[in-house]
Amino acid sequence: MDAEAANRGTEDTHKSDACERERKRRRTDAHPQSLRWKSPTEQQSYSSKLLEALHHVRRTSTSSSAANATPRSRAVREAADRVLAIAAKGRTRWSRAILSKCRTLKLRKKRVAVAFGHGRHRKPGFSAPAEAKNPPTLERKMKTLGRLVPGCQKLSFPSILEEASDYIAALQMQVRAMSALTEILSSLGSSSPSSNPNS
Amino acid sequence: MSSRRLRSRQSSSTRITEDQIIELVSKLQALLPESRIRGNDRVSASKVLQDTCNYIKSLHREVDDLSERLSQMLATTEMSSAQAAIIRNLLTQ
Repeated sequence: MDAEAANRGTEDTHKSDACERERKRRRTDAHPQSLRWKSPTEQQSYSSKLLEALHHVRRTSTSSSAANATPRSRAVREAADRVLAIAAKGRTRWSRAILSKCRTLKLRKKRVAVAFGHGRHRKPGFSAPAEAKNPPTLERKMKTLGRLVPGCQKLSFPSILEEASDYIAALQMQVRAMSALTEILSSLGSSSPSSNPNS
Repeated sequence: MSSRRLRSRQSSSTRITEDQIIELVSKLQALLPESRIRGNDRVSASKVLQDTCNYIKSLHREVDDLSERLSQMLATTEMSSAQAAIIRNLLTQ
């Protein structure tokens, strides 16, 4: 009986250890994830991939005959978001949401718009989060936040907060990379008026 | 009835604690730009959420502006392969 009890005890501790380890791993994965957006290597890799994507945008937009400025800036924005989502390596919900949105938009624009409309109408059915003590303004702000971060509209309190902190770190990197790129391009554009120097 | 189901699902699987939420809110607050200016204890969660929403909106606007400028520059610059190589060199410094 003692041995049995001891076994069960160790089994329990093993299970709790495994759970603890998994939780720790998830937590340590989460922290370097948002710190990752601050590393210069991440920004450089993002910048070079963004540059490639911009090349592609430029090529596709010049090939189409009716290329006006407004859709191209949107194409640039979408390319930047897509490259950002890819850089997240599928670990966050917002990045997966951006990538799936890109694919559905490419296939059928109308269906996504209709689905969005239905989602909005269905909202009043959503119940309060676990903390009933929170005043309604807090809940409303959580919902706004959930709508701002892609793919986080109906998540629980802590999930939205986690996604939002990673999303903000990623956006900050996106802004840094795009500003640097804009600066470089503008300096290049002003210094070299003609294309090929001779010899 | 759906609310009861939702609440029971949340309490059994995730067991959201107050401390967990406080930790996440403080982590979020650390990312906001104003947190470095003030001494950031005891800012209400509601204020942090409001600031977060505003910050994300301003970041979106900035990215939109940058996309606009980049798209204009794409139209005007030559973007030959040599220039692309130069840009890549500058970026990897």
